[in-house]
Amino acid sequence: MAGLATTESKVRQMKSISANLVVAFLACIVLTRSAYAEPLDQLPLERWKELREVERYQLNIAEKYYREKNFKVALSEYEKFLTLYEQSDGAAYSQLKWSLCLIELRRQNTAIKEGFQSILDYWPDAPEAVAAGYYIGRAYKDIGEVRKAKKAYQEVLENHPKHLVAVYATVDLIDIASIDDDVDDRVKLWRRLAFDFERTRESKNHCVAASQQLAAYLFENGSFEEAVKALATTYPEDQLVAQVASFSRGPISRLTGNDETRSKGEQIADKGVAWIRQRIPTDRSTDEAKQAALQHWYAMADLHAASRREDKVAGTYEQLSKSFGTNDTTLQRLGDWYKSITKYDQARAQYAKFGNKIEAQNQIAYSYRQQQNYDAAVQAYQRNVASDPENQARWSSEVGNAYREARKYDQAIAVYNELLKTDGENAEKWLWLIATSYRDAGKHKEAIGYYRQCNNFPSNYSEMAACHRAMKDFGEAVILYNQVVGGAPNSAPWAMLQIGYTQEQAGKKEAAIRAFQQVCKNFPKDRYASQAHAHLQTKYKITVTLGGAKDE
Amino acid sequence: MEAANNRALQISRRAAQLICAYAVIWLLCLANWMWIQFEASVVSWLQAIVFVASLPISISWIRWATRPSQRQTQLVCFVLTVAYVLLWHLGVFSFDAVEWDVPRTHLARVGTAGLFFVGLAWSIWAVERASQVHESRRRSGQSELPIVRATPATSRAGDVQSDQRINNPFDPSAWYYGRRNAKLNQSVTALSGYSVAFLILFLIFTQMGGCQELYEMPAGGGQQQTIAQTLKVQKVIKKKFVVNPFSAISFKVPPIDEVKLQLTEITEHAYTVGYGEGAGAGFAGGTPKGQVRFIRLEYAGGDWDQDFGIGADVNMLIEYGIRTKQKVAKQTESRTVGQLKNFLPEKSPPMVYLTGQRNISISDSEVKVLREYVIDKHGMIFGDNGGSGHFHNQFVGLMRRVLPNVRPSKIPLDDSIHRIPFQIPFLPYVAPHGGKDALGWRVDGRLVCYYHPGDIGDAWTDDHSGVSPEIYEACYQLGTNVIFYAHSEYSKWLASRQQKAK
Repeated sequence: MAGLATTESKVRQMKSISANLVVAFLACIVLTRSAYAEPLDQLPLERWKELREVERYQLNIAEKYYREKNFKVALSEYEKFLTLYEQSDGAAYSQLKWSLCLIELRRQNTAIKEGFQSILDYWPDAPEAVAAGYYIGRAYKDIGEVRKAKKAYQEVLENHPKHLVAVYATVDLIDIASIDDDVDDRVKLWRRLAFDFERTRESKNHCVAASQQLAAYLFENGSFEEAVKALATTYPEDQLVAQVASFSRGPISRLTGNDETRSKGEQIADKGVAWIRQRIPTDRSTDEAKQAALQHWYAMADLHAASRREDKVAGTYEQLSKSFGTNDTTLQRLGDWYKSITKYDQARAQYAKFGNKIEAQNQIAYSYRQQQNYDAAVQAYQRNVASDPENQARWSSEVGNAYREARKYDQAIAVYNELLKTDGENAEKWLWLIATSYRDAGKHKEAIGYYRQCNNFPSNYSEMAACHRAMKDFGEAVILYNQVVGGAPNSAPWAMLQIGYTQEQAGKKEAAIRAFQQVCKNFPKDRYASQAHAHLQTKYKITVTLGGAKDE
Repeated sequence: MEAANNRALQISRRAAQLICAYAVIWLLCLANWMWIQFEASVVSWLQAIVFVASLPISISWIRWATRPSQRQTQLVCFVLTVAYVLLWHLGVFSFDAVEWDVPRTHLARVGTAGLFFVGLAWSIWAVERASQVHESRRRSGQSELPIVRATPATSRAGDVQSDQRINNPFDPSAWYYGRRNAKLNQSVTALSGYSVAFLILFLIFTQMGGCQELYEMPAGGGQQQTIAQTLKVQKVIKKKFVVNPFSAISFKVPPIDEVKLQLTEITEHAYTVGYGEGAGAGFAGGTPKGQVRFIRLEYAGGDWDQDFGIGADVNMLIEYGIRTKQKVAKQTESRTVGQLKNFLPEKSPPMVYLTGQRNISISDSEVKVLREYVIDKHGMIFGDNGGSGHFHNQFVGLMRRVLPNVRPSKIPLDDSIHRIPFQIPFLPYVAPHGGKDALGWRVDGRLVCYYHPGDIGDAWTDDHSGVSPEIYEACYQLGTNVIFYAHSEYSKWLASRQQKAK
């Protein structure tokens, strides 16, 4: 007897464990989904627990199809749940998901009238009713019924001002205000999002974005203090200076770029600089404190640069150098600024002062490439090849790239060939670059040889076919494109279209027409079918293109 | 001899009277054909006779003018000019009658260009003639004065320096032509003046006053509902026999009952397709002589006339008539954007069709006309991407200019435009040039523009572009829905305006 009792208790224990495991499993699913899905269409764990097993079973089936984006089947499964378990606690949730399936199936009107509205009518106290109110507004907005959307959102804001839906409704209302070009409304809504709403995990991003947009708008309008307040809602004191500089740079640059608004832009820049200067930490005892102070100086220099006052930028860097000495970061920033005002030689002079000589040559080489002075760039990279043997492949690759940019393909190929010998791990990459260099040099036969050695089908086959076409070897090109059609379903429409063009080049009009018609017939929903259809009509005046499809 | 002269004079006078009478009738017919559009059959026949008569009349005039006894260059030119106008209009009228829209449009344009050059030639001749007369008068005036040996330069200077300041523009010595290149200046002025005058007249005739057009919907009524087809099931009840299963006689037991579908009776529409109260399929805001017309919009920069006049639009219009039982026009039409302005606010087309696959080049004033058309005149644009992603961007860009504060949205499959009168559970397309979703621009809840991304017009052509019957049938249904939506919305708007007026 005692043994039986023990067995019974073990069974009960096992059942309890398995139930817990199921719940834990479901929780995992729900939590994993909530990490990327909107929380409004999730059933909380506590409510999952409340459901009977049969209900959970049916709902899981529906959820599975919903996750797989098979919305037609999911729709019928949610409907089945509603039919079988109308009185269940999950009924409102099922109705909500049923409506969301309809939205995905582009039947927004039915979703609103028969889905979301039913939740409001039959389950007004359910948590889903709150979400339904919001989704009504969003569905109306998506189908262009802006007035109805506004009304629905206003209702949401009035009835649930502290709920997450209020945040979403406000975000959508901002979008509507943007369409209507209603600046006042937009600013009002930005303020509400930035200052009024509680920032939770779900609402945080929207509130942050609103505070940034509000700050950018206020900077542009000269309300510097207000803009700083908006940013202060998002960023702590230690990040605020960098963010103020970051968000005010754009407006300052725009305003100073126009003669009429230049003085306004300069005033904002001056305000910004003065505001940052007040906050420069006096403590420089540690490296971190020193870095923090340096960041303030960088921010001031950035604002001067945005206001296009070169003397002030140079002056700020001069003061900075006197106070803190020079380091690679400061030199990099100064060099980049010189480049932004197209003073490349002065920029390179700054890079040359780097403590890290390898990086100095890299920056110098890059600046030469920006000026299209490729020989000088190659020399700089070669200095790195010599002085940085650990990263020889990297710098040699840059040499090859610079040669390619300079259209010196033979030199580039020589470099890549050398890399092929020395850096076997990346052989695929070097083969591709050699092949591409041969192709760009017009040496198609050699290019084909190297593309053939690459393993990145169908890209290599497409390139080989293009080379054959360039050599007027159309038959071979068609064979290769056909191999792409057979072996790479995703590239098949494109390859079939290319067969048409190739046949056209070969003067085989009939075959070309057949190929174009095949594109239309076999891939009617693909964008290449559109090209084939238009080509048949414009080039051959053929209206019977054999396409046609339906989008359900 | 004198009697013969009198007789000839009488004949020529009678001929002149006949010509004048013909000219008046011809002008009346032209006015009716172009603007009044009184469509009684008698008038149409009379119009046709008058226009066709211009051919023999023109030939006889030309033969008369080129007779050896009659030959005068100016007379020949004058007759040729008049004949040109008559024959040009006869050509346009003939193409219009046989519904060859593309040649008609081209001929109308080429003819206008030709008319410009003919008029220019006459202007140059007139100016030259007038200046010659003035020169000769001046010379004759000078010949009465004592002979003074003067160089040409001094004579011209003398003219200008004379006390009389010449203002006549036909006189090359007019003060504003200057001292140097006076003749050239006169020619340039004449050319500019003529060009401006021609342009103004062209605008007056085609765009501005006196060219108001009317669009009248067919009178009637109906419901804005999905067509429901009734399935008539007839239950055939056969005689029942009570059979004793234990009987010694063997019976062949008949089936208990048999259900027969009366398939010939299932396609009757459950209601009339239309809007408002009225007899027959139509619209409450329509008129007895009104009819649904299909107007294609002409625009510059691209190929507005893609597939125009080869069946697509006409087929759609015919199909619309068959499916809705509403009165439809015999042929399709085209109008420039500027011409939309000519329609009266309550008599303007509820829908215009715009297609192509290249650029859409529309001026700011045309954008204004389109905005006025869709908002103030309650019209609707039915856009159809005829073949490229580029056209998609062009069309969306155009609508952004027309309605800057309206963003396009994907039209749901359960929108009334996809449900009424035909339920279309999917979006049919020939090729996905601009995606796979129909886009709509809404103003106050009404679709002012429906954009089909996949060449719906190609499915309406005679060969349906080779697409399957399911697709082209759905394309006809969709076309019907869009036309019906535009007309019912227009009808609603007319009704609300009438109520407001009361």
